[in-house]
Amino acid sequence: MIWLTYRQFRTQAIVGAVTLVAAAIALAINGRMIARAWTDSGAANCPATGDCAALTNFAHATDNGRTIVLFILGTALLYLVPPLVGVFWGAPLVARELEAGTHRLVWNQSVTRDRWLAVKLGLLCTASVAFAGILSLIVWWSSYRIDENVLNRLTPLLFGARGVVPIGYAAFAFVLGVAAGILIRRTVPAMAVTLAVYAAAVGAMILWVRAHLLPAKHLTTNLDLSQGIEQLGIGPNGDMRIVAQAHIDGAWILQNQTVTAAGKVFTGPADPTQCGRDVGPKACEDWINTLGLKQRLVYQPASRFWDLQWAEVGVFLVLAALLVAFGFWWLRRRSA
Amino acid sequence: MTAVLETEGLTKRYGRHPGLSDCTLHIPPGRVVGLVGPNGAGKTTLLQLAVGLLTPTAGRIEVLGGQPASGPDQLARVGFVAQDTPTYANLTVADHLRLGAHLNPRWDDEVAQTRIDRLGLDHARPAGKLSGGQRAQLALTLAVAKRPELLVLDEPVASLDPLARREFLQSLMEFTAESGASVILSSHLVADLERVCDFLIVLADSRVLVAGDVDELLATHPRLVGLRRDPEVLPAGATVIQASHTDRQSTLIVRSETPIDDGVWNSERLDLEDLVLAYMAKAAVPAPRRAEMTR
Repeated sequence: MIWLTYRQFRTQAIVGAVTLVAAAIALAINGRMIARAWTDSGAANCPATGDCAALTNFAHATDNGRTIVLFILGTALLYLVPPLVGVFWGAPLVARELEAGTHRLVWNQSVTRDRWLAVKLGLLCTASVAFAGILSLIVWWSSYRIDENVLNRLTPLLFGARGVVPIGYAAFAFVLGVAAGILIRRTVPAMAVTLAVYAAAVGAMILWVRAHLLPAKHLTTNLDLSQGIEQLGIGPNGDMRIVAQAHIDGAWILQNQTVTAAGKVFTGPADPTQCGRDVGPKACEDWINTLGLKQRLVYQPASRFWDLQWAEVGVFLVLAALLVAFGFWWLRRRSA
Repeated sequence: MTAVLETEGLTKRYGRHPGLSDCTLHIPPGRVVGLVGPNGAGKTTLLQLAVGLLTPTAGRIEVLGGQPASGPDQLARVGFVAQDTPTYANLTVADHLRLGAHLNPRWDDEVAQTRIDRLGLDHARPAGKLSGGQRAQLALTLAVAKRPELLVLDEPVASLDPLARREFLQSLMEFTAESGASVILSSHLVADLERVCDFLIVLADSRVLVAGDVDELLATHPRLVGLRRDPEVLPAGATVIQASHTDRQSTLIVRSETPIDDGVWNSERLDLEDLVLAYMAKAAVPAPRRAEMTR
């Protein structure tokens, strides 16, 4: 079975390996360039001396066309690999056999249908996970200095392309493809369904689920406009909206509201003599400071990066396990 | 000895559509069984039930004393060449033999290699580039080299030209002669089966019409020719399968366990094709409802 699995998978494996090697070379070069910028900008001294002003230089030095493009490509590749694995490795695995009728050949060798599926699923799922895992490792190594010092790993788009989450995506996408193939029995429709369901699942995770994987933290402090203003708006009827910037290092801010001392969201009214076209912004800020407003934050702290990573991987591995169980069950009971 | 195929009330429905209805069969070992019937009669259903590609809706089936496809041992004992002889288009002939060797504990590589060489197949050629006849031979080689006790073939020659058809049946006969294995093969043409089978099953409209040893069937199904008379006036112990009348003469095909020698009828021996056609015509008689089944 192992030989047959390898023989049928050979072409896809070569395509995968070539992609991985090409990505590794490009990302290694980029990693070297980022490392050089790190020392040249003086940012390398930051952890030792505590003089981190040079980080600005580092951010500036890496903000050039080639570095950014390769950085984005690496991240994008990690988002593309799982669905591609699902569509081109997973979906055809069983669907192509059913479509070509070769299941009637292979299921009548001296190997049970369960074992046939188990070996194929096991080996190729391992390959999918290894593919995504190795790529994630290379991307991590190549871009960790930017991730840690310029960006924030918890931001939704970076989070899904770092750490172990891509592995969970790849395992889920592959198994989803196989299950779709078993159910639909035709390669191209199975590919389309795989892509659609995968996109919906990951989209739902990013938009609605991830923030709640761990109970978010709450923090209410006195409103401090000197930290920077994110939003300040005054409507025609005097209704007002003010949001100060949130300053929690590396945190993923889920909600940032300004509330009154009574705990209600502050909506004005604005005092037209203090805040308006005729008076300067300074007067308005001073006036706001007299209102005793508070900033209420809901957030996931930076320290939870790995907890959230494992939680998300867990969700997708459970989904993958359910799909595997469904695949075996359906293949066993289906009519040939 | 254990029956090669034993079924009791075997039924398979596809939704509401019957694939096989209430099929009871007993096939003794060592036979070459022909399964004949029009397209859609249920031949493929019966064969796929026998190899475990389908599971029955109702009834019981045992193949070589075991449940079809119940485990690696059972799978190893039954070889199957599916309809249209599927092979992996992008795997070479040599790859197929390696596949067989890897997946079958009783694989006989010498048999496989010899057959491929004798057929003149290029080992490096992808199966997708073989002719229909060559592909069928490759599929047969795979099934034969796993040294099954029962070989099941579903319409193996349907898509072959007459020469390839003859060669295929020839090599099938060589296999049975050498191995002593039992064979079940289906066809919608009696001519394909006539030369190779010693046991016959006639299926139509999802039902078994008749099954038995070919010699016995021919011996018990005479054609009676005599002066025209009422079809109800039968020779004792005989059932009419088919009756046709001219103004002066009646021709009956009957089933009778005892030879008919009453001086009234002139008894002739049928050939297999006439017998099969008589049964199929009988099945088609309550015509309007069954008309669809012929296609």
